[in-house]
Amino acid sequence: MTIPKNVSGLVASARVAILAAGVAAGLGATASAQGDEQPLIIARNLAVNSLDPARTSCDTCNIYMAAVYDTVVRLGQDNKTVEPGLAERWEVNGDSTVFTFHLNAKAVFADGSPVEAKDVKWSWERLTNLQGGMSWLFEQVKSIETPDSHTVVVTLSQPDSEFLGKVIAPYSGVVNSKVASQHGAKTSKEEAATDTAEPWFLANSAGSGPYVLAAYAPDSELRLKRNDHYWNKQADIGEVVIRQVKDSVAQAQSLMSGAVDIATEVSPDTAKTISAPDVTVQTVPSYQFLYLALSPGAKGNPPLSVPVRQAIGYAIDYKKLIDFTIGGAGQLVPVAIPNGFPGADGLPAPEYNVKKAKELLASAGLKDGFTMEAVFPNENYYGVDMSTLMQFVQQELAKVSIQLQLKPVTFPVWLQTVKGEGTPLTASFYGPDYFGTDQYVRTFAMMPGTRWYTRSGAERVQGMANPKEKELLDKALASPVDQRDKLYHEIAQLMIKDRVIIPLVGPNTVLAYNNKVEGMRYSVVALLPLQELRFKK
Amino acid sequence: MNAYRYVLRRLAGLPFLLLGVVTVAFLLSQLSPAEPLASILSERQLSNPEAVAAAKARWGLDRSPVEQYLYYVKNVFEGDLGISFRTKQPVIEDLAARLPATMELVLAALFLGVGSGIVLGVVAARFRDTVVDQLVRLIALFGSSLPVFWSGLAALSIFSVQLGLLPGPGRMNPRAAALDPITGFNTIDAILRGNMASFSDAVTHLILPAAVLGWATTGVISRLVRASMLDVLGQDYILMAKAKGSSGLRILFHHALRNALLPAITVIGYSFAYLLTGAVLTETIFSWPGVGSYAVESARALDYPAIMGVTMLGGAVFVLTNLATDLAYVLVDPRIKLQ
Repeated sequence: MTIPKNVSGLVASARVAILAAGVAAGLGATASAQGDEQPLIIARNLAVNSLDPARTSCDTCNIYMAAVYDTVVRLGQDNKTVEPGLAERWEVNGDSTVFTFHLNAKAVFADGSPVEAKDVKWSWERLTNLQGGMSWLFEQVKSIETPDSHTVVVTLSQPDSEFLGKVIAPYSGVVNSKVASQHGAKTSKEEAATDTAEPWFLANSAGSGPYVLAAYAPDSELRLKRNDHYWNKQADIGEVVIRQVKDSVAQAQSLMSGAVDIATEVSPDTAKTISAPDVTVQTVPSYQFLYLALSPGAKGNPPLSVPVRQAIGYAIDYKKLIDFTIGGAGQLVPVAIPNGFPGADGLPAPEYNVKKAKELLASAGLKDGFTMEAVFPNENYYGVDMSTLMQFVQQELAKVSIQLQLKPVTFPVWLQTVKGEGTPLTASFYGPDYFGTDQYVRTFAMMPGTRWYTRSGAERVQGMANPKEKELLDKALASPVDQRDKLYHEIAQLMIKDRVIIPLVGPNTVLAYNNKVEGMRYSVVALLPLQELRFKK
Repeated sequence: MNAYRYVLRRLAGLPFLLLGVVTVAFLLSQLSPAEPLASILSERQLSNPEAVAAAKARWGLDRSPVEQYLYYVKNVFEGDLGISFRTKQPVIEDLAARLPATMELVLAALFLGVGSGIVLGVVAARFRDTVVDQLVRLIALFGSSLPVFWSGLAALSIFSVQLGLLPGPGRMNPRAAALDPITGFNTIDAILRGNMASFSDAVTHLILPAAVLGWATTGVISRLVRASMLDVLGQDYILMAKAKGSSGLRILFHHALRNALLPAITVIGYSFAYLLTGAVLTETIFSWPGVGSYAVESARALDYPAIMGVTMLGGAVFVLTNLATDLAYVLVDPRIKLQ
């Protein structure tokens, strides 16, 4: 939209009037209240579930944890290389079962006390024992020893060549155990139920990262200030405010009006409408994806045999889906492992073939199709509206006479449904917590204990388990990198054949920011690494 | 009847009404198919019987529904609305922190909506069946029918992005130094602190959301006042005033408007309660951290204590607003007696 020239005089007058009113009232609020150092303002839908490192698990939490709680090792800017963090060096034994970390003696918490091995042990044990959303990161840990104050020895119950990746995850951040314990934090399994530290963590932090928590108001803002005692390279920006702006369009408008410096969840469609000269919009591929999940063991025994699941896979026009849901700003994803992750390269793109879908349905005795329920979370993930996505899927499946009864629900109701009696077809999303394929196999493969083995009701359906996947995973985790990636590739091919998970789209990430901000990039773990941002001088 | 006794009698009924609201809200929460633990525990914790048992004990979900109800009612009448599953803070504190933001928005919206509605209604009646009248009716029609999620975004686009006249979403400029709260009303706190820069900031942030929210009230009030004014302007005492040589403005605002306002008072009272409990979309679009956005997020997360708290607050608001409306009748029309 542009303003007609004959209106511009009126607008200028109105601006003068409002400015004059501000001056008459004192001074312009913006100008007067700014100190020498400007805060960085980020527009985002906060959706924080907790700020307690052992309980937190959300996208904003990734950003927060990476900024406030340093990890023992960290991820390089290439999103692959492991770099020193709190540990200046580390050793791994031959079969990837013993990891020894040597902490940097310079590392200190925000209160100035040294980061010691006991803090690392305490933090990782608490994460595991409180059983929060990310406790699975250390489920293979058999013991954590601290032979001296700066050495941590982790012994795993089985080989895990991706363990360093899990240590990189922001949720593995190290907490000042003394401070947290003083505020009700417990670490042992027996005491986990009596841990009362969460309210304290909502107002305070106890990390050794470049920022500390200044204030948190749920549904309003998360305010961080620079850790002036930071032991590593200090952050450039003194204060960061992540402000609740839920709607994608409102985020874009806030960015264009100059009210915020960065908008983190502008949808690709909305991004196309941003025309302000002082705003940069970059669209970069992400490692996130959305998928359909089919549950043959769900209530009512839906007829979801392998040919039917394959038919559903062939019935969807993936390119059209990407155009329809996010204006083409996304990638095709062949398997439930992001493109670029170990094992995912060289796989065939998902095929759209209605004729083949109909043949497969006919071979399964379902030539006339069938009807099934599809309960899904009525949310927006990575710029994709789930209702829009599911309506598209509904239309596509109708072409092969499969009628979907869509049932949008809130996330807790959806979670209860898929954990309980299940739903024949649903849709969800996944964003990585570290660079590694293990997390995908443990979530999506058809081996007992994985999230979707359980949710799909596979234990109630004969022939659903795929023992080969477990065998290959164990081998992969005990193998050197080159062999490991080949084994992951084999697992990926098996997961495609399982056809329980049908990836739909890998939405691109939109980086929308004011030109005065430098250092913007997409990180697998931190999403937006705050400590790398700076204002142009 | 003595006004003081009347107010006391009406207020005495408030706890019974709130009990009814609590009961209905509690029954609805029990009928919901959703398991509250799903919004408290992680998926892994839900699979662990020990974690489930500990959470049930912590949140009182191990009791029978009757025990839960009685326990909740007892706590409510002691001023304890429970702990929010989502924010982990006492619900009463969450509401206390957010209510001033909503009240500030709603009062500003009511001020703009009622003020402009009365003026437009009077003008439309004065210029009945002219272009001015048609224009006022058009404004009323748009105000009543445009959804806030559209008018809010459009207003932001025009006045904030394109024209740069007013700030974007939020209550205050996040770059400005935070205002130390006294009442929670930013405009009042800024004055009390003598910080006129913050006052200017708070007012400019308030204009757009208040105007968008108040527009619906403008529509309703203007139509009502127009109709009442036309009725009153046709009465004999107005003819008498004209015959005595009163000026047009005096007749409109002194003789006619006061009598024409009576029906509008009901709507004003209702509008206040409606705006207070219905500012949900406006608060979401304008990132206004009030009760409305709290209600939405709580509902999405199945945060039952928060949902119950918001429901009770809504019930109390309606009761108190009705009482205020009844008292306003007496002030405007001395012929009406309290009973």
